[in-house]
Amino acid sequence: MANCDLCVVRNRAICSSLDAKELEALNAIGRTRTIQPGESLIWEGEDSVLVANVIDGVLKLSTNTEDGREQIVGVVYPSDFIGRPFGGTTGHGATALTEATVCVFSRRDFDAFAREHPALEHKLLERTLAELDRTRRWMLLLGRKSASEKLASFLLEMEERLQPPGCAWNFEDAGPRRITLPFSRQQIADVLGLTIETVSRQFTRLKNDRVIDLPSRRDVTILDHPALVAEAG
Amino acid sequence: MWTYHPDLLAVPVPRYTSFPTAAEFDDSVGAPAFTAALEQASGDVSLYVHIPFCEKICWYCGCNTGVANRTSRVSGYLDALHREIGLVAERLPRGARVTRIAFGGGSPNGIPAVDFVRLVDALSLQFSASSPVLSIELDPRTMGSDWAAVIDAVGITRASLGVQTFAPSLQQAIGRVQPARMIEETTAMLRGAGVDSLNFDLMYGLPGQTMADLDDSLAHTVALGADRIALFGYAHVPHLIPRQRKIDAHALPDAAERFAMAAHGHALLVDAGYVPIGFDHFARPGDALARAMLSGRLRRNFQGFTEDAAPVLLGLGASSISGFPELLVQNEKNTGRYRMMLSQDRLTAHRGIRRQAEDRRRGAVIEALLCRGRARIAPDLQYEAWPLLLPFFDAGLCYRDGEDLVILPGGLPYARSIAARFDPYRKDSLRRFSSAV
Repeated sequence: MANCDLCVVRNRAICSSLDAKELEALNAIGRTRTIQPGESLIWEGEDSVLVANVIDGVLKLSTNTEDGREQIVGVVYPSDFIGRPFGGTTGHGATALTEATVCVFSRRDFDAFAREHPALEHKLLERTLAELDRTRRWMLLLGRKSASEKLASFLLEMEERLQPPGCAWNFEDAGPRRITLPFSRQQIADVLGLTIETVSRQFTRLKNDRVIDLPSRRDVTILDHPALVAEAG
Repeated sequence: MWTYHPDLLAVPVPRYTSFPTAAEFDDSVGAPAFTAALEQASGDVSLYVHIPFCEKICWYCGCNTGVANRTSRVSGYLDALHREIGLVAERLPRGARVTRIAFGGGSPNGIPAVDFVRLVDALSLQFSASSPVLSIELDPRTMGSDWAAVIDAVGITRASLGVQTFAPSLQQAIGRVQPARMIEETTAMLRGAGVDSLNFDLMYGLPGQTMADLDDSLAHTVALGADRIALFGYAHVPHLIPRQRKIDAHALPDAAERFAMAAHGHALLVDAGYVPIGFDHFARPGDALARAMLSGRLRRNFQGFTEDAAPVLLGLGASSISGFPELLVQNEKNTGRYRMMLSQDRLTAHRGIRRQAEDRRRGAVIEALLCRGRARIAPDLQYEAWPLLLPFFDAGLCYRDGEDLVILPGGLPYARSIAARFDPYRKDSLRRFSSAV
């Protein structure tokens, strides 16, 4: 966050409500970190609870269950604000899935700052509500949906969240959209609680049905958005 | 109409929000018993989350709560609560399903709204609860528009307002000043936010309270369209609740006046179309609580009368009580010790009681009498309880119908006293009493 003026998510990040002077003050309590795929985000202060603003890249939020399994509890994308407490002993970790750049703050510092800046405080509340919404959708996705519904929901979320910085898809425009997934098939299987065979089978089926195209291992072109929405249930 | 029999109400009896009651708890059970019960839990599970903070402390209140005046105290408590949520959730088997979450206090809206949303997020995540029924207790004095927006967005459908009385002089006397307009605005905000079951807590027996005051508060409540009403008698026990010393005891209504107020309130609300629920709750006919009452599914729990049928209740937060079929266990009450223990990842359950088969059998009788006014009594319990119940039979408050004991409508204010005759932990005090009259 050396220079907020150059920040690519500036216009849709939580700090967009602040003026230059306020940004400078916020700068003073936060730090910018670049982390590599597989690397975890940790706060090196006494306070183990942190919040982060994702500038670039994708991270997964996960927890280790008592029997040693990793349970993925969420995925965060650029301009997302990771407000839920993690680190510490509640067992949540944020791990980069791609190379990622984040602004990190201790939650206490950030909350104290927000209390003095009502516009930011309001945005913080909105973001936290959006996170709750995402948590609930995620729980629903993991708990109730079939394999085909899971993969379709997941691709729709990717389509929505991986839009180029600063722009928004025009969802009315029905033309094909190409996204580059930050995940391997195995990672998608892990995230959705499916086997890699099931995930591959579902990809092939969607391709054969002309809902998507798969130009490469990581790229997906969404050919028929309404059909994908219908698949998601 | 109810008849006042002072001799039959002379011995104080528990409210039986659990059986055995919290008075029977000791330190023979704690975190190990809690953990073992938790790991065996299955089926529907309800959560109760205690937020022991209020903007201002009311003088009458016996709840475990403190003033939310220091940010660090509140955030330290919430950190501990988040840790507890993680520790409890990871021990709960996957087969158990969280279907209800109740937030009580204190005043849950005494903490910042964003912290509340984080709490709901953590509970949803850790307990895999995507769409539980959410309820909350609210203080109208701290109901800002941000809270209304949060209640709407989070999807809370049930709320309970601490109203107590609409009379300004009485509000002054109990240290809870909230103009009628504030309660009206809060009600409108909550309706706008999607709350479809709204409860008003009201009190009778307040110092200086007249029958006209009570009438006025009830009329106001009915006019505002409360779906549920809990009408409690104020208990002045300053030796147990020191903050009550601020209340002037001289003008307290006597026992006969209190009885008349309860009777009057009951008649007025029934007249207004409310279904009486147990001995102190009322609900509009379409409300879930009234439906549970009418279909015989009403239950008793720590929050009073409820339609919640879950066999397991997990209490989170300082002083919260968890209930399992075979165990009742309470968390550390002191918020400082609660925080300290959780900072070391230790569960704080430290007092309680195992519910033996005999406790469960008697508990079922007590719950049935309080919730349905009728219970099947086994021969050995009849042998034991009938002599103690003689004065109640004689006064025409209850009768025997085959193996059943039935409480008559006029016996409702005596329901707890009748139920107490099946409580072996009260045997001595009740025997002493019956031999004295």
